[in-house]
Amino acid sequence: MLLKDQVALVTGGSRGIGRGIVKAFAREGAKVAFVYRSKQAEAESLVQEITAAGGAAIAIQGDVADPAVPPATIAKVQQAFGGRLDILVNNAGVIRDTLFVRMSEEDWRTVLSTNLDGAFRFCKVAADLMVFKQRYGRIINISSVAAEHVNAGQTNYAASKGAINSFTKALATEVAGRNVTVNAVAPGFIETDMSEAVRNKAGDLVKKMIPAKRLGQPEDIAAVAVFLASAAASYVTGQVITVDGGLSLGTPAL
Amino acid sequence: MTQEEIYKKVANTLVEALNVDEEEIQRGSRLQADLGAESIDFLDIVFRLEREFGIKIPRGELFPESIFQGDPDMVQNGKVTTKGLSELRQRMPYADLKRFESNPDVAAISDLFTVELITKYVEGKLRSGN
Repeated sequence: MLLKDQVALVTGGSRGIGRGIVKAFAREGAKVAFVYRSKQAEAESLVQEITAAGGAAIAIQGDVADPAVPPATIAKVQQAFGGRLDILVNNAGVIRDTLFVRMSEEDWRTVLSTNLDGAFRFCKVAADLMVFKQRYGRIINISSVAAEHVNAGQTNYAASKGAINSFTKALATEVAGRNVTVNAVAPGFIETDMSEAVRNKAGDLVKKMIPAKRLGQPEDIAAVAVFLASAAASYVTGQVITVDGGLSLGTPAL
Repeated sequence: MTQEEIYKKVANTLVEALNVDEEEIQRGSRLQADLGAESIDFLDIVFRLEREFGIKIPRGELFPESIFQGDPDMVQNGKVTTKGLSELRQRMPYADLKRFESNPDVAAISDLFTVELITKYVEGKLRSGN
């Protein structure tokens, strides 16, 4: 087991990529706390699934865009799992796609406050622990290929993910001397609720755009997150690792 | 608290903050050049001193940031000017600048931050009661 007895916190953990990461971490022996906003039933089923398999997991309700949530959440994680926080995964993210000329201030704020401000505040509390108390930590920010390979209708989302990538690199330089690594994973087209609308609209075209000829699964992202959180990745920091089946490379073979 | 006691406690604080062995620490040890401190360590040292000694250290007081702010009257050709030195004395009254004054190379400012300097700073803080 690659993460035996490590304490991990994953935001947006009840479904999609976050759920995949929570499961993978638990399978590797980590004690996993995850944050969910609204999907209580999914959150509870995930905790049950993990504990039934002999793992340790807790679900914490909260909106990551709320400034009070990150400190309160991390305090709960410490209470539940013995005071440590080894791994933080900032995964919670939202989209509010619309053409820029139609984008409201609220569309902009909603996306930036969840995807960027939320990650900032979780990192702030976690870094305090990791840098000053533990001298150890792994921060993994879930970004998106859409930060660099942008889509029309996503000025807000692209801005939030581009900012996450730069933030990841800058933070990595500050904390590397204290055994804290900060990396980002940039998923491509992953089969989740978030990508459902686009998948429905584009149909088979999506698969044709991906050299690997299949959509990604949450497990594909989780595997990379496990690696980044593991001892094997101790010399990897400040990187944005694209996991997209080749989508961002260009035209696939016909 | 005697000066010796303060020094011992400062040394212990540095062992914790910088992850160094106690034997590596001497009064004249320079935080950066000898003990390998980097920017985040300076913050850590401040937090720990505040806790250990029950003092408040205002930002920039013990470890001043950008003392000369690129002011050409304070630094010329890499040397701190007379005006710069008086600014330095004012900002760091607890620092022993004698040796530095004989060759005020701006790059050598980091060498002023020694274990002794921190001890003197804490001593002054405790004596003035804040």
